[in-house]
Amino acid sequence: MKKKFDFSVLARSKVTWAVVAEALILLVCLFVRPDFFSISYQPTTEMLYGNLIDIVNRSSEITIIAMGMTLVIALGGTDLSVGALVAVSGAIALKFLRWDVTIYNTPGDYTVYPFILVLVVPLAVCTLMGLFNGFLIAKADIQPIIATLILMVCGRGIAQILTNGKQFTTQYSPFRVIGQGSFLFLPMPIIITAIVVAAVALFVRKTAFGTFVEAVGINRKAARLSGINAQLIIFIVYALTGFLSGISGMIYSSRIMSNDSNNAGLNFEMDAILAVVIGGTSMTGGKFSLLGTVLGSIIIRTIVNLVYYFGIASEATMAFKAVIIAVVIVLQSEPVRNYFAKHSKARQNLVSGGARG
Amino acid sequence: MNKKQYAGRQSLMSRILNPKFIMVYATIGLFLLIYLFGALAYGDKGFTTLRTFMNLFVDNAYYGISAVGMTMVLITGGIDLSVGAVASLTGMFIAYGTSVLGLHPLICIAFSLVVGVGLGLLMGWVIHYLNVPPFITTLTGMFLARGVCSLISRESIEIKHEMIDALAGWKVNFMQLKDGQWVKVKPTAYFNFNVLLFIVVLLVGMYLLQRTRFGRNIYAIGGNEQSAKLMGLPVGRTKVLVYGFNGLCSVLAGVAYALYVKSGWNLSLQGAELDVITCAVIGGTLLSGGVGYMIGTLFGVLLKSIIPALITFNGNLLSWWGKIATGLLLLLFIMIQKLVVSTSGKKKAEAKG
Amino acid sequence: MPENNLLEMKQIEIQFPGVKALDKVDFSLRAGEIHSLLGENGAGKSTLIKCLTGVNRKDAGTITLEGKEIQPQSPQNAMELGISTVYQEVNLCPNLTVAENIFVGRQPMRRGQIDWRTINRRAKELMARFHLDIDVSRPLSYYSTAIQQMVAIARAVDVQAKILILDEPTSSLDDNEVQLLFDVMNELKAEGMGIIFITHFLDQVFAVSDRLTILRNGHLVGTFGIHDITKVELVTQMVGKDMDTIFNLKRASVAPDAPYMLTAKHIGAPGQVDDISITLKKGELIGFAGLLGSGRTETAEMLFGANRFTSGEMELDGKKAEVKKPYDALMQGMAFCPEDRKRDGIIGDLSIRENIALAVQARRGFLHPLSVKEQNKLADKYIQALGIATPDAEKKIGELSGGNQQKVILARWMATDPKVLILDEPTRGIDIGAKAEIQRLMLEMCGDGVSVIFISSELDEIIRCSNRVIVMRDREKVAELDGDTCTQEKILSIIAEGSAAAGGEA
Repeated sequence: MKKKFDFSVLARSKVTWAVVAEALILLVCLFVRPDFFSISYQPTTEMLYGNLIDIVNRSSEITIIAMGMTLVIALGGTDLSVGALVAVSGAIALKFLRWDVTIYNTPGDYTVYPFILVLVVPLAVCTLMGLFNGFLIAKADIQPIIATLILMVCGRGIAQILTNGKQFTTQYSPFRVIGQGSFLFLPMPIIITAIVVAAVALFVRKTAFGTFVEAVGINRKAARLSGINAQLIIFIVYALTGFLSGISGMIYSSRIMSNDSNNAGLNFEMDAILAVVIGGTSMTGGKFSLLGTVLGSIIIRTIVNLVYYFGIASEATMAFKAVIIAVVIVLQSEPVRNYFAKHSKARQNLVSGGARG
Repeated sequence: MNKKQYAGRQSLMSRILNPKFIMVYATIGLFLLIYLFGALAYGDKGFTTLRTFMNLFVDNAYYGISAVGMTMVLITGGIDLSVGAVASLTGMFIAYGTSVLGLHPLICIAFSLVVGVGLGLLMGWVIHYLNVPPFITTLTGMFLARGVCSLISRESIEIKHEMIDALAGWKVNFMQLKDGQWVKVKPTAYFNFNVLLFIVVLLVGMYLLQRTRFGRNIYAIGGNEQSAKLMGLPVGRTKVLVYGFNGLCSVLAGVAYALYVKSGWNLSLQGAELDVITCAVIGGTLLSGGVGYMIGTLFGVLLKSIIPALITFNGNLLSWWGKIATGLLLLLFIMIQKLVVSTSGKKKAEAKG
Repeated sequence: MPENNLLEMKQIEIQFPGVKALDKVDFSLRAGEIHSLLGENGAGKSTLIKCLTGVNRKDAGTITLEGKEIQPQSPQNAMELGISTVYQEVNLCPNLTVAENIFVGRQPMRRGQIDWRTINRRAKELMARFHLDIDVSRPLSYYSTAIQQMVAIARAVDVQAKILILDEPTSSLDDNEVQLLFDVMNELKAEGMGIIFITHFLDQVFAVSDRLTILRNGHLVGTFGIHDITKVELVTQMVGKDMDTIFNLKRASVAPDAPYMLTAKHIGAPGQVDDISITLKKGELIGFAGLLGSGRTETAEMLFGANRFTSGEMELDGKKAEVKKPYDALMQGMAFCPEDRKRDGIIGDLSIRENIALAVQARRGFLHPLSVKEQNKLADKYIQALGIATPDAEKKIGELSGGNQQKVILARWMATDPKVLILDEPTRGIDIGAKAEIQRLMLEMCGDGVSVIFISSELDEIIRCSNRVIVMRDREKVAELDGDTCTQEKILSIIAEGSAAAGGEA
């Protein structure tokens, strides 16, 4: 006998709504402006251009951070400091991209420090800051939201102090590659994001790490009694999130070839958390979906691009974002999902009952 | 354990030494300490004048107004990220309404109140009845308000209206008796409409929290929502109203800010919600809910605003040290709270053992 | 005389998925009476109470209060009808003051404001009635659990209750505090209130109640006047002996020269247990008998590192063992099925497969994952070996019945090939067939050389399975009996009387 597909499972699954939402948004685009989907090749930069490419490209920073945020939220926590870490990462990178001003007096393709420092130091510092968060949460047992609020508040201050409150610029070409280069006809950030997503997915799903995160997020005491070192898991997750914020910060500052401690990563924590929640991972922790998070991040960016495309003020995208997010979140909320699940089941019963009768 | 151990008269002393006030005392103590430091270091530059002190109020009244509502939200165990955006939206309504549409500011303010309180109530409803986390709900509210702000205008709009000018310009100078005559204190110190509004809102907040069932239900919900339900308290209604009240505070904060800068800008007060939360937390309000006092919030606002004042008086430091200092303050307070909680827990264990 | 009854519950039936929680239970309460409700865990006491307080709906039967039939819909509704409940965990707000906890939601008002003076005065008077002279303006959390419990009772009483339900209020009180509570109960009784008293402490039952009702496995055993039953009879009735007929089990046979697997010397921690010494040979099963709260769970948690012991030392397999956290215990070959399966055992949203593989995976570390194939093999093996009733290994463990959840937890630990297995109430609240299977599994493991510590409230299964029985009472080990010669009566008398002399050879 063939197993019948149970639609109530679909109705109850949260990722379903994310897929439906993205599909609907794109459908609207398709009807209103089919050219939204056009993709062209630009031989001078060896890159593909088009709205769809741009959406994925521009969602990179959030997607990368959201990979860590997914795990943080699966543990039942939140990390508010990621946006500030993006600023810190950029500030340090640009600090190490100084050149000898006695030789050149305009920014150009030169630097005094080896490029490897530009890559390593920001990431190391961000990882350490993530560890600081982890320490407050795992060892000092402080609520995640307030523990990470500390770095959120002073992170930008640190970034400003590091650069003496100045905005540095650079034209160093290896650094430009990170945010503006291309590989396989695709913008570099997409490639980096793909690597990060694959690496995180492999790490959590091909080792038992993901299961441990879920176990700790669902029932920390039972997980501990089963021999899981919950503190270690928390440490790793927050450190990883710090590290990923660092990568995101590099991409951001490479795009503008400058550090902007005021605006770099502004509201990134909000967008990352939203991406995770739209992707179907519950704020209360437990089961998580990395795929859902990627989708969530892309949805957010699609809305932004769509609104740009229709020539609406860029800041106003927030209103559209809010409306669509509100719809997704309300649809995902427990009472509504239960309502749908109950009704689709009731309908099924009715149908099968009718067939039998 | 015999009965004697429970004995204890309810004297004024024991009421003052009540452990529930420890965090408030810590805030006040720290404020006095920093103030003393400022007085010693920059006393000669005029740090100790009444003017400097009053400016703490004048320059931060809008934070204070918003912090009153935020304190209530935090006591229920919730959070509201929309306050900055709603305040900004209010400023935009007033600016656009008066300068572009030519409406009377009172109409604009009334409209802002309807929108702000309505949004607050709606968010409260979603949080309680749809069981969506406060963080996500109010974040969406923030995006919405900020977005509408930008839809109205992306340029800063100057507010030009005689009533606004009158309100913004109104101030009462402090006087002193000198040679049998009342003269203004030197350097001049004053309080203005914003300070007055802050004090009034603060007093209303205090009254609600301490003197009404509504206020006490807020504490009960923050202490243990499940218990509050079992005790038969109107949990849902209270939570919705708290977010509504916070919406009201956000609008009033927006009015105060509009009077302060006399313009509306879609990007004004970005990140203000975190400053407001920080004020409440360093004022002794627990983010986990159940604990918080308006008097603590008042000193939290003062504590947070005295840091930039100090940096200004120093003159050599980058203003960014203010952010770092605020972060360190937060850390310090969380650690003190941890300590207080664990020692009071220990006391209990000893009493039992 | 039925017409005197304040409350009458007749033929109450409650059906939970897969199990009949209450089957035609009668219960009555007179005004001015203290009526104890007794039974082991899973007997249906709390289900009966929840039915009365409107938490659970009854499927059949009637409830009459003062001659009128009632249908309590919610705790709030029950309270309005005059039924107040004080739970084991204090259901008050720790951040509010004592006075406020009593009056919150119904504060006396004066000129539109809360009248704090009256609240504090009346709270003080009320507490004085409970012989407590405390500062009612301090937060509840400032006081001990005993006082918090009193405050909860004060609130319950002050809402003009006709019936007061006390659900294990004494489990965290010391003798003086218990006496205080009894004084209050007697005063309330004299005022005509009906009190339902639930406790595990038999001495207290005899000290304070007028009548008692015993439940077992959802059935009514009987209602007795306090003078019509002895302590030993009472325990016998509570524990029952319906197992013998179902399964014929043989105790594990331990070679006389078998090595010691676990030796605990004088371990203890303040506030938990004092000075416990245990030896356990390879392949041996020792039973921990004793009522709830006697310290048996605390001992088990200490051995496994869930709580650290602060004095004494432990040897595992002849080597000194440092067990600071469960992970250490796991790495040294120990396993532990906790008492509260739902709260501390299962990871509800994970599948059966993931739950079974969890401890093995924790031991390997997350960098050495079991492949899904290996996990499936493990899961399938134990689903079959333990007879876990499920369509497949991907079902969420939270959706299984209690007995099957327990088997999954057992499988989680069996998969680690432990040397020492500690089982805390593994058969609680599961049906008789599953109970017998778990006992059989336990003994099979002993046969394979695993040493087992078995904690249970049901004496007959302890006696049937154990090579030795350790009897605990008041957080101390009071006797160690030989499994072959010990009898239910012997253990009962030790538990009831507290004298190790009755059969102690420890």
